Amino acid sequence: MTDRYVEIVNLVKAYPNPLGDAIRVVDGFNLTVRKGEVIGVIGHSGCGKSTVLTMVAGLNDITSGDVVVDGKVTDGPGPDRAVVFQAPCLLPWMTAFGNVMLGVKRVYPHGTKQQRKDICEYYLSLVGLADAMHKYPREMSGGMQQRVGIARAIALKPKMLLLDEPFGRLDSLTRMDLQEVILGILDREKITTMVITHDVDEAVYMSDRICMMTNGPRARVGQVLEIPFERPRIRREVLEHELYYDLRGCLIDFLEKFDKHKHPDENAPDCKPEPEPSSEAGSLAPSFGVYTDDALSGSPLTLAEIGGGA
Amino acid sequence: MLKNLKLALLKAIDLTALGFLEPYVRLAYGEEPEKQLRKIGQFTLIPLLVILAGLAVWGVLISPMIKTKSGELPSPGVVASAAGSLHQFSVREGNKEKAYVATGEDRSAWLADVEAELEAIGPEVEAADKAVQSARADEAESKSERIAPLQARVDELKDTMKAERAAKQTALKEHAAELPAGDNPQRAAYLGELAGLEKWVELQEAEIDKIEDRIKLIRDEKDAAVMAALAQQTAAAEREQYLKKMAEQLGEDSREARVADGQAKLDDAKAKFFSAEGAAAYNAARKVISAEERLAKTEESTYAKPATLYFQIQRSILCVFSGFFIGSAIAIPIGVLCGLSSTFMGAMTPFIALFKPVSPIVWLPIALIVASALIPDPDKHWLTQWMWELPLIGQYKINPAFLASAVTVALCSLWATMVNTALGVASVDKDHLNVAKVLRLGFWSRLFKIVLPSSLPLVFAGLRISLGVGWMVLIAAELLSSSEGIGKFVWDQFNNGASDSFAKMMVVVFIVGAIGLLLDRIMVVFQRLVSFEGSIAAV
Repeated sequence: MTDRYVEIVNLVKAYPNPLGDAIRVVDGFNLTVRKGEVIGVIGHSGCGKSTVLTMVAGLNDITSGDVVVDGKVTDGPGPDRAVVFQAPCLLPWMTAFGNVMLGVKRVYPHGTKQQRKDICEYYLSLVGLADAMHKYPREMSGGMQQRVGIARAIALKPKMLLLDEPFGRLDSLTRMDLQEVILGILDREKITTMVITHDVDEAVYMSDRICMMTNGPRARVGQVLEIPFERPRIRREVLEHELYYDLRGCLIDFLEKFDKHKHPDENAPDCKPEPEPSSEAGSLAPSFGVYTDDALSGSPLTLAEIGGGA
Repeated sequence: MLKNLKLALLKAIDLTALGFLEPYVRLAYGEEPEKQLRKIGQFTLIPLLVILAGLAVWGVLISPMIKTKSGELPSPGVVASAAGSLHQFSVREGNKEKAYVATGEDRSAWLADVEAELEAIGPEVEAADKAVQSARADEAESKSERIAPLQARVDELKDTMKAERAAKQTALKEHAAELPAGDNPQRAAYLGELAGLEKWVELQEAEIDKIEDRIKLIRDEKDAAVMAALAQQTAAAEREQYLKKMAEQLGEDSREARVADGQAKLDDAKAKFFSAEGAAAYNAARKVISAEERLAKTEESTYAKPATLYFQIQRSILCVFSGFFIGSAIAIPIGVLCGLSSTFMGAMTPFIALFKPVSPIVWLPIALIVASALIPDPDKHWLTQWMWELPLIGQYKINPAFLASAVTVALCSLWATMVNTALGVASVDKDHLNVAKVLRLGFWSRLFKIVLPSSLPLVFAGLRISLGVGWMVLIAAELLSSSEGIGKFVWDQFNNGASDSFAKMMVVVFIVGAIGLLLDRIMVVFQRLVSFEGSIAAV
């Protein structure tokens, strides 16, 4: 069960086209996520990443296919799949505390007032807003607002956390801060997470696996790349890790191949980062694998099989 | 501490959109004095100068140009003095009211004061009468001096004209005898001569008329000295009248005196009853009862104060808010439903489109008929009785005319709120609705936590327009329905035609404008308070 905690099966999003066949923006998206795993989704802008995420969240109708979370087929949105959008989407007439409380009231209907208050305060201090709890969104910076959005999502105790380019609108320093905040929380709470990004470094730093999407229309999973770094991660160590640039290169190669002008249905590119078979890397090597689209259901291919065999 | 005060002041100024006050606050704190002075010049001095220029144009250019049956268009000074006399009237009526219920030492001391004043004013009134007489005499003298030469000229013209006409007529008659028979040039010339004579007479008469008109103008001229004397006389006479009335109210007509009188009568009746025997006792007993009743009524009685302008202003404001609340109570729920459901919106659109352009003048008679039918006798109907008993509101004696005016205000003003509410509810940010979806909020929770807060700024923008429209509609409605208020005041002055009625109507122009401005400001403050973005609403 924990290996297939979230299953996205043959997900399709089609928009009706009065002049011909329906336009299938996403066509046959398959992904299985382990419990507590952080899965990054990366792809060119407009490829349908957000469409997939909003379908998983239930905010966008699914044309066909299923999203199964913890053994249950989802139907519509719900607090079991919390979303953090690119824009903070806070309710501007409520304070940070009020925004978090709105969700907490829904999820803990039987809690006492004090319990709910404690929960809100706990999550707000978790994202570093202990001193700004009673501020209104307009009095907060973009980064602070996004922290509230994160607190609001996590306070729901969701089965799955959906992050839709959560740092897309923030400057790079704030972005790094917030990456740490989220990773800190995820290490503690072990929430299954799907994070959409178009930032290669962010994807590598945050994810356990990265799902690379082909270009739309008819977007699907191109490749899945396992990121072998241990958690909790320390940015410096990750950046200095010998595999870091190989993984990064692998992602960039993929994205370059799918640059806008190329045909989306082209075969998935080969991905062959060359690991240095050192003693340290050796321990990582078995889990450092690459899936191809077809190999999704199978066991991950290890680098030794792909790269080492070349 | 001081800095906090400054911030609070600046915040309040921003909230009420009274930006012109800001430089004063900053100047008081010594912040960039030069810049603040420049701003004061820009936002206070220049507007003040423009106002002064406007007053000058009004008083010097426009007023003398517009001459009507009711006199010249009142100049600013006249309007200001009319405002003063309106104020004086209400102060005096207030005093009379207080005087009526005064008791004991207060009453006697007050009465002594009033009587002393009354004595002092006697010579003043006489002097004013004399001043009027002498001013009239002066006026007559100066006018006759100016008229005399003109009159002489008229007489002279008349005499010469008559003499000349007679002479020419005789000549023509003599000439007629000499005319040869038949159609010939001589007879044609004769016709010409006669016509010439008549034309000449007409010209002479026109000349005379012109001079006579001038004489009439001089006679009709209003002499400034006489007018001033008359005004003084009226003021003195009014004051005397007032003091006399006050003396009465404090003296024999005061409630205390009347109660004592009633008590005496009651005692008398009781004494008679105690001593009466047989059938006479029955009648005596009845007298005791009626004396008791009368005494109770007297004890409760108050001075029947006529409506003062302040009372009418208060009643108008009460009326506009009543109408505004009725209208909002209808408009907001319907607006919310329209915003939530496009079906409902579609169903309502014909009504909105049809009734929105209907003028208050049409609604009012209908509302008046309905209100009068529902409350045929306000003295007995439970609704009016209940409202008269209410604290604060009771004194305004809400009647069918008031209700009709309020309903008219409601019917004319609710559309802006309704349309804005519908728009606000329909255009809630999609992101905010997504939050509701993810949290699976129920209908009510979604409505009260997300939809309504988000549409509040637009709702309040609508309410602000509604209140402005309502205030304009109300004055017209009161004017037609004779509901005691500012509109009725204008109508009364229009029908009254006293020398200062025109000026009093002009006073109302400023009062209505000032109250409308105040209401708008209040709504601006509310609008800003609910504006969650902290954005500055249009002023």
